[in-house]
Amino acid sequence: MKRSVGCGVLILLLAACTAAPKRPTVQKPSADTVEGLAAAIAADAERSDRESDSKVRDELASQASRDAEACLTRDPQAAACLYGHAVALGLEAKAHPTRAGESLKNMLEALTSAEAADPNYDHAGPARVRALVLVRAPGWPLGPGDGDAGLVAARRAVVLQPQYPPNLLALAEALAKTGDANGARETYGRARDAAQALPSTAGRDDWLRAADQGLQHK
Amino acid sequence: MVTLLAAAVATLVFCAPGYPGGTGDAQPLVDQFASAAATAAGWPPGSLKAVYDPTEEGGLAKLGSPEAALAFVPYPFFVEHAAQLHLTPLVQANMVGTGPEERWTLVAKVGRVTGPASMSGYTIVSVAGYAPDFVRHWALAAWPLPPDVKIEATGQILSALRKVASGEKVAALLDQTQAAALPTLPFATDLKPVTQSPPLPVALIAVVDSRLPEARVRALQAALLKMGHEAGGADTLAALRLQGFVLPRLPDRPATPP
Repeated sequence: MKRSVGCGVLILLLAACTAAPKRPTVQKPSADTVEGLAAAIAADAERSDRESDSKVRDELASQASRDAEACLTRDPQAAACLYGHAVALGLEAKAHPTRAGESLKNMLEALTSAEAADPNYDHAGPARVRALVLVRAPGWPLGPGDGDAGLVAARRAVVLQPQYPPNLLALAEALAKTGDANGARETYGRARDAAQALPSTAGRDDWLRAADQGLQHK
Repeated sequence: MVTLLAAAVATLVFCAPGYPGGTGDAQPLVDQFASAAATAAGWPPGSLKAVYDPTEEGGLAKLGSPEAALAFVPYPFFVEHAAQLHLTPLVQANMVGTGPEERWTLVAKVGRVTGPASMSGYTIVSVAGYAPDFVRHWALAAWPLPPDVKIEATGQILSALRKVASGEKVAALLDQTQAAALPTLPFATDLKPVTQSPPLPVALIAVVDSRLPEARVRALQAALLKMGHEAGGADTLAALRLQGFVLPRLPDRPATPP
């Protein structure tokens, strides 16, 4: 399954949003099932990650939101729909930065529900995405960002799926954010090793690049 | 360094150390602001570009480049670097929810700090910690800190407040937005404001090293002062949490208590 992460980032006097790099190239299945709708949301998120035109990002956020609603209508308790709803809210935060605070708050609530439904969904995606939101979002009192809580969530994702490189990358980022430079360096190295052990894909290349960038910045 | 040619492209450097956000995130917004400001000032299209840097080091590097003609910086940054960079205030930001001035509040654990002398051995953490002159001589001018007090910058003020509440020898210097939100913390009853600064500017736009012709400076100043009162300008400002600009009202440097 392919997933992408939207993450709000307010700035001192500014407001904007960024997204984590994730695996590209999703074949969009028929959007009349939970799986199809979840995949459609993921595809919108991946496109949004690479899209520089704010109007297109706005359209993608709207489409993802409609798909999430449709998914939740079909199965309100499905981890795929709850997680997709969270991703759609992340896209909304990205498209409408001045409303990012509320969107991110709702996103975290949706991730809580998704994690309760299936903590291993998308390789511990709910905990991983929660970690990234908490680490990257503006902190108190401007937004929900909380480096300490982000670190806890990242550790949880790694415990659940220790060999999945994005979980290790999220943990490394959380360690760096909370001041553990040595831990961050070691974890970026683990992420790199884990990615290298996987077959060559575009996703693997993204993860290797992210690990290398993290190692260079430490 | 005197002037750029009137037709040259000037750069407005936004720098906000300690506040969240990355260069890429901010760029569309600062681009929009630069475009709107230049248009309002009657500058040629494309004659003002903007860059954002979230770090003190990066901001200083950008402001040191010859094309950097304007700086949009928080007041602590201005205090710390105005002399070095030859910054001349142009307008003062009027922030949504705060206004053009704010008070900074020193927060400690309840019962631990009874006066400046009791802070010996403490560390003060703040989003403005990169500007120790600002912390000691402006925000806490009336609260003479013992020499062994350390001042540290943090972008993680919530973590810092947890340390304060847990009883570590840490105090937090909060900006007005942070101080106003203190009651929302679950451990707020463990914290106590111990002193507060006089009102100080929040942020300024300043001319860097006289790198703009006077006529362009005056046109830009007049345009910025009007921006908050015009529909299009107000929308642009709102994205930056600004409601407008006012003429600079800088306080005199406080006298150091004996």
